[in-house]
Amino acid sequence: MQERLCMRNLCIFFLSAFILCSCEELFEAHPYDGKITGETGMNAKNIARIVNNCAGKQQIRFIMMGDTQRWYDETEDFVSHINSRNDIDFVIHGGDISDFGLTKEMLWQRNILNKLKVPYVVLLGNHDCLATGEQVFRKVFGDENFAFVAGNIRFVCLNTNSLEYDYSHPVPDFDFIDEQLTAQATEEEKTIVVMHSPPFSDQFDNNIAPFFQEEIIKFSNLQFCLNAHEHRLEVKDRFKDGIIYYGSANIEKRNYLLFTITPNGYEREVVYF
Amino acid sequence: MSAKWSIFKTGAICLVCFFCSMAVVAQNDSEYEERIEQYQKDWSKLIPRYTKVQYAGSMGLFSLGTGWVYGKNNQWETDLMFGYIPKYSTEHGKLCITLKENFTPWDLIIGQKGFSFQPLSCGIYVNSVIDDDFWVSEPGKYPNAYYTFSTKIRFNFFVGQRIAFKIPKAKRDWAKSLALFYEISSNELYIVSAANNHYLKPSNYLHLSLGIKIQWF
Repeated sequence: MQERLCMRNLCIFFLSAFILCSCEELFEAHPYDGKITGETGMNAKNIARIVNNCAGKQQIRFIMMGDTQRWYDETEDFVSHINSRNDIDFVIHGGDISDFGLTKEMLWQRNILNKLKVPYVVLLGNHDCLATGEQVFRKVFGDENFAFVAGNIRFVCLNTNSLEYDYSHPVPDFDFIDEQLTAQATEEEKTIVVMHSPPFSDQFDNNIAPFFQEEIIKFSNLQFCLNAHEHRLEVKDRFKDGIIYYGSANIEKRNYLLFTITPNGYEREVVYF
Repeated sequence: MSAKWSIFKTGAICLVCFFCSMAVVAQNDSEYEERIEQYQKDWSKLIPRYTKVQYAGSMGLFSLGTGWVYGKNNQWETDLMFGYIPKYSTEHGKLCITLKENFTPWDLIIGQKGFSFQPLSCGIYVNSVIDDDFWVSEPGKYPNAYYTFSTKIRFNFFVGQRIAFKIPKAKRDWAKSLALFYEISSNELYIVSAANNHYLKPSNYLHLSLGIKIQWF
């Protein structure tokens, strides 16, 4: 009788332990451990799709949004809303995909964004740099600076979170900007510069802000600049030179910026979902 | 005669004094020993009584530690553990240190062979990563209250169960008892994230860990 009781308790003990084994990612070494499961290199894969889908297109329609940190439900709603439209070429996430830089935050957000029917790219936000966050971001999404050409528009996406770095790591990286300037083959090509933290924000290296502007206005047909970070919709001529910085709100506000670039100019719309 | 008597008297007094002094010394000796004994007894309470090895639990993939048992029914335990976090996709592997408080209120004896079942063990543990990329409070370069949390210090909460085996006295070579346990844990950042989102399910923010405790005495 006692033996049987002992066996029964042992069985309950191991059963309850093994029921849990059915969950994915059952064991965790540490919340910042950098253990990545599932797809990696999202930006590179999606850029290939964007370039392919937009090749030869005269009109490009894309979405700028960002700061989805810890707003998983709103991000999910955003994804299902975008999936219900069929007039979008791609989505740009302006950074701060995580709030604490935790490994799993990046994976949860990747899983949500992967449900998008259209390709997306993610920029590095300042929250994504915390602890091991940036190392995980690089693996899951890609480099801190990247660029791609959709139709005849060059999107130059830059890490501008200078406060997160020392002087040994150039942010913004002028060598990268120069490479992109050199890569710009035709004068017909249009340019859009995208960043997480805009000039004169708490993250930007404001000492070099005028020099940064001087560099980026060298891009051919610079349409405008895009930023996230401020958690509010913004339209700012930050350097009083006619180059507008459009800021997207955080996803909690349930809106996004929709841009349509046509051969004659561009249209901007704020869409609520 | 009187002179002889006085010599005898002096000698007797000296002897009595000698024995008395011996008695006093002897009394001092035992008091000293008692004190030392007490002193050693007090300090011996600080000798760790067990060794624990734990797999996972957000305190390292593996952690090894020691600790103290106390309380009326030995229901309280304090662990000091060192964990190793592998490199995975980061730049290097890391070490971390954990201070863990366990509460195990019940110990149900099963059979007569020394087995027992502890249907609840629960508690809290504070984990700290030993690495320069992590901070307790944000470095001075940030504006005040820029990031309102610590990347270095994590507060974890757990519930679990244990089975224990008390080694019969005749067969005790090294240890007094062995226990196997599992724990389900989460930390404050996961809980805060889950609180405002339906998207996150328990399988996202709860994790399992397994361990063994070897109690030496």
